[in-house]
Amino acid sequence: MSNIARAALPDTASIARTRARNRRLLGRIFSYLALGLAALLVLFPIYWMIITSLKLPREIFRLPSLWPKVFTGDNFAKLLSDGGFVLAIRNSFIVSATVTIISVILSSFAAYSMVRFRYRFRGLIGRLILFAYLTPGSLLFIPLSIVMAQLKLGNSLVGLVLVYLTFSLPLSTWLLQGYFRGVPRELEEQGLIDGLTRMGALIRIVLPLSAPGIAAVAIFTFTGAWNELLFALVLVTSESQRTAPLALSYLITSDVLPWGPLMAGAVISSVPLMILYFVAQRFMVAGMTEGSVKG
Amino acid sequence: MTAALRLRLFAYMLVAPVVLLILGLVAYPFLFAIWVSFTDQVIGSVGRFIGFDNFIYLSKSATFGAAIWNTITIVLVSDVLKLGIGLGLALLVHQALPGRGLFRSVLMLPWAMPAFVAFLTWRVLYQPLGGGINLILNQTGLYSGTIDWLGQRQTAMSSVIIASVWRGFPFWFVSILAALQTVPRELYEAATVDGANRWQRFWSVTVPGIRQVVIVTTLLSSIWTANAFEHVWLLTQGGPSDATMVFPVLAYYGMQTQRIGEAAAVSVYMLPVLGILVILATSLMMRREEQ
Repeated sequence: MSNIARAALPDTASIARTRARNRRLLGRIFSYLALGLAALLVLFPIYWMIITSLKLPREIFRLPSLWPKVFTGDNFAKLLSDGGFVLAIRNSFIVSATVTIISVILSSFAAYSMVRFRYRFRGLIGRLILFAYLTPGSLLFIPLSIVMAQLKLGNSLVGLVLVYLTFSLPLSTWLLQGYFRGVPRELEEQGLIDGLTRMGALIRIVLPLSAPGIAAVAIFTFTGAWNELLFALVLVTSESQRTAPLALSYLITSDVLPWGPLMAGAVISSVPLMILYFVAQRFMVAGMTEGSVKG
Repeated sequence: MTAALRLRLFAYMLVAPVVLLILGLVAYPFLFAIWVSFTDQVIGSVGRFIGFDNFIYLSKSATFGAAIWNTITIVLVSDVLKLGIGLGLALLVHQALPGRGLFRSVLMLPWAMPAFVAFLTWRVLYQPLGGGINLILNQTGLYSGTIDWLGQRQTAMSSVIIASVWRGFPFWFVSILAALQTVPRELYEAATVDGANRWQRFWSVTVPGIRQVVIVTTLLSSIWTANAFEHVWLLTQGGPSDATMVFPVLAYYGMQTQRIGEAAAVSVYMLPVLGILVILATSLMMRREEQ
């Protein structure tokens, strides 16, 4: 009898266990709800961008819909047939790739020098690089546009590349220093004993071992140049030198706002970065948190 | 030449290109901007030194006053929102939840997409006719009218802030999440043994563990937000009637009217406050690097 009673009436320990389990379950439900809501708020604008790019004008303005009745490629066709946007995307690629290559090479040299050698001014140079990284473009765009005009590089992709180095060099040098510090000195010394020069040790040992860091730096530099608007707006005056952000931002200053083609352009401009993000998310997130990268 | 000297020369040669380019492309223009702000330079002419005239002129302009106020508002409000959202989501994702990796990837998307794309998209969302936000409000029955989010004074600033929080919170979220992962689990266990409840554990273990990161993030985010151009330019261009005017946009307008001295003075006005933030951030980042 007493056994049956004990089985039927749960003891206090198991009540506490059930309570704890319920509380955990409740906490989980709450967590998923909150995260789900956040994900929804993050995804909706992206959804809206894609869906607008696939809508006919009448579903954008007169009969707006959350889910288009007709999907169309017209907006993409219209944007791409013009030629201006294709040229802008090409310009963006040229500028971003050039900036990336120059920054990665020059800043690997600088970062290696600062991590491996001790010399006067090293601390000062480190501070200068960090200052340069945090000096905002809004302070530099006026004097830089004057300087570029004096150098006769005002309305040119070469000028843009030079100007973009102002943010890419400090950022890459700062980040690479962190990665190079993680390369064990012994490996390099072994290489030197085996007959490598210092330069050889940098190229054959340090760079390959810092490959994830180099990848992150290359991606950040590329993205920074790809996204830049203010300098381009100030420096570039002719249509043939426009970059993608510039070409799209001129679309919204016209009187008629062509939302369909605009969002088609937004989708196309996002594609290279989204691919990079999905391929290299791990490196990027690590680099971002270690080096404080705006993105 | 001794080996040591040769090595030092090599070290200097490696670092020289970056140092020279930074001096030429950042330090020189920076000082040049300060000089220009004390002249009456217009495009195509060399300016005359006019002392503080540009600054005095600006301080009397209503648009400039609006820019100060709006810049401070955007920075403070969006910092607070990004801290709250970033911390909240980081704590949620930090739990042992199945699927949290997926949530983390999704929550990072606004950071991964280009800023100009994000703000152009928000501009479309905010449209009074056919914009996604009004459509959602109408279809869910929350509100049946049409709001011109970016076109009227009452809503323009909040709309700009919401869009810029949307784009900016992932940086906080990921930085705080990374900091949470460095807090040793044993500290929580020790606190539990000492009888601390969830709230006490948060204040005595979590907060000290992430404080440093939150401070650096706040400084950086304030510097970036105060100097951001795209969000306002692509959403409202500073309007309606200066309701969202900020420093960088005002400087850009000054540049367009060709009065360079005045435009430079707008940027230089920010310098004292910005300088303090930059010096604080640099020191903290250097210190963290040394550890």
